[in-house]
Amino acid sequence: MSETWMIAGAWLASGLTIFIFSFLYKDNPFFKIAEHLYLGAGMGWLFQVSLFGVWGPKIWEPLTKGDWVVIIPSLLGLSLLTQFVPKLSWISRYGFTFMMGYGAGLAIPAGLATDFLHQIGGTIKPLSLMASMSPFDIFNSLLVACGLITVLFYFFFSVEHKGHFKKVSNIGIYFLMIYFGAAFGNTVMARFSLLYGRFDDLYTFSAGKYLYATQAILIGMIIYFAVRGFMAKDKEQEAAH
Amino acid sequence: MLKEKLQSFFKIDRRWIFLVLAVVLFVPIMKPIGLPNKTISPTTQRVFEFIEKQPPGAFILFSLDYDPSTRPELHPMATALVKHAFKKNLRVGVVTYIAGSTGLIEEIFEKVPKEFNKTDGVDYVIFPYMPNILAAMTQMASDIYGIYTKDRNNKEIQSMPVMDGIRNYKNMSGVVCITGTAILDYWVAYVGDKYTVPVAGGVTAISQPGYGPYLQTGQLKGLIGGMKGAAEYESLIKQPGKGTSGIDALNLGHLLVLLLILTSNIILLIIKYL
Repeated sequence: MSETWMIAGAWLASGLTIFIFSFLYKDNPFFKIAEHLYLGAGMGWLFQVSLFGVWGPKIWEPLTKGDWVVIIPSLLGLSLLTQFVPKLSWISRYGFTFMMGYGAGLAIPAGLATDFLHQIGGTIKPLSLMASMSPFDIFNSLLVACGLITVLFYFFFSVEHKGHFKKVSNIGIYFLMIYFGAAFGNTVMARFSLLYGRFDDLYTFSAGKYLYATQAILIGMIIYFAVRGFMAKDKEQEAAH
Repeated sequence: MLKEKLQSFFKIDRRWIFLVLAVVLFVPIMKPIGLPNKTISPTTQRVFEFIEKQPPGAFILFSLDYDPSTRPELHPMATALVKHAFKKNLRVGVVTYIAGSTGLIEEIFEKVPKEFNKTDGVDYVIFPYMPNILAAMTQMASDIYGIYTKDRNNKEIQSMPVMDGIRNYKNMSGVVCITGTAILDYWVAYVGDKYTVPVAGGVTAISQPGYGPYLQTGQLKGLIGGMKGAAEYESLIKQPGKGTSGIDALNLGHLLVLLLILTSNIILLIIKYL
């Protein structure tokens, strides 16, 4: 990539980042530009992925090589578009039926084995191996089993939760709260990481070789907000007079 | 009087908090403080050991499925894992099911192979982006060449030295998936459990707690979580990178949050009992 393009890319990246962050101070036209550009670019990106990543290699190329079988899935896919024409929308059922059957056939056995049977096995198995386990592992296994049973009980609504049942379901709530707390803590950490990533790029683009893109755009934004603030104040004073 | 003053703390313009947070995260980038990252979580250690125990020449399939939106967390861990694989002289195959990750994969493989003197087609292969992830995963169980015939540069893969003896999952030593999506779940359910292929992962910090059950049962061999996990892996392979440099900012950011939570709770208690 040529140096000019690198500099242009740096100005674009730091500009759009600062424009998006500027919303934290106040809504402004630069934020709107970045927001609309993001949506447009996203749609454009998806379109070219569909065209060059799916349509080209999966339909066009096989057809040009005489592989006519791809017409069948292509027609099933195209049938979904008939949803937009009410009179022909019944045709879309064929596409949806295929998708439902294919999806269910793949997902149900895998889901049952992975998320149901393996998890039950994973909870029960350690309990049968206690004799060879360390005290910490025994405690851990019992804690997992206790968490599983109490949380499942919390979501079991066919018995009224009162008396001893309420105590069990309350323990389940504590397990859930610990999970939510851990998940929220991790979410905060993840958001900081993403923010750090943007700041790291902004710092990179503040270098002389990028013609001080970050500083220039930041100063430009500050001047814009200052001018806008003064103008708004003037208007208020005029209105007061 | 004091009560009113303290109550005004809760009316503070939140934009001041944004500014303080921005400063706290930006300063360590300009002047690294070098706060240590001394803890290595057992799940990251397990991923390290999984790669470490592979014999030279073993084939590891990397599924790098993340785009720029999760780059700060996942790119450092993907880079560290590829470095580790090359350091151990493993053969590396890279697949992706997120179109946005192709550029990021190129970014890794522009630099890392040169560091370890590795050659495209001999030591590693990058397969092109493939839509319909489940079809690709299922097909690879019987014959990888049924779904991938060429690499991302349109070169035939079957004759490449890196693919020597590789036809399906049975010939691979494992799969490592780095993603901010549910693709790791697919690898566990449709490949790991079904074909008894060892699967390890790297995910964003947000998704990390959800993978606890898979780790407990051994369905996942190990898990790297977020930028913290990336920093841990970098310190395990003794090659500090972007994950390690981010730890300063993360630590300071967390301290700020703790400080704000503590201060507001103390003020609330004072207001309540004053």
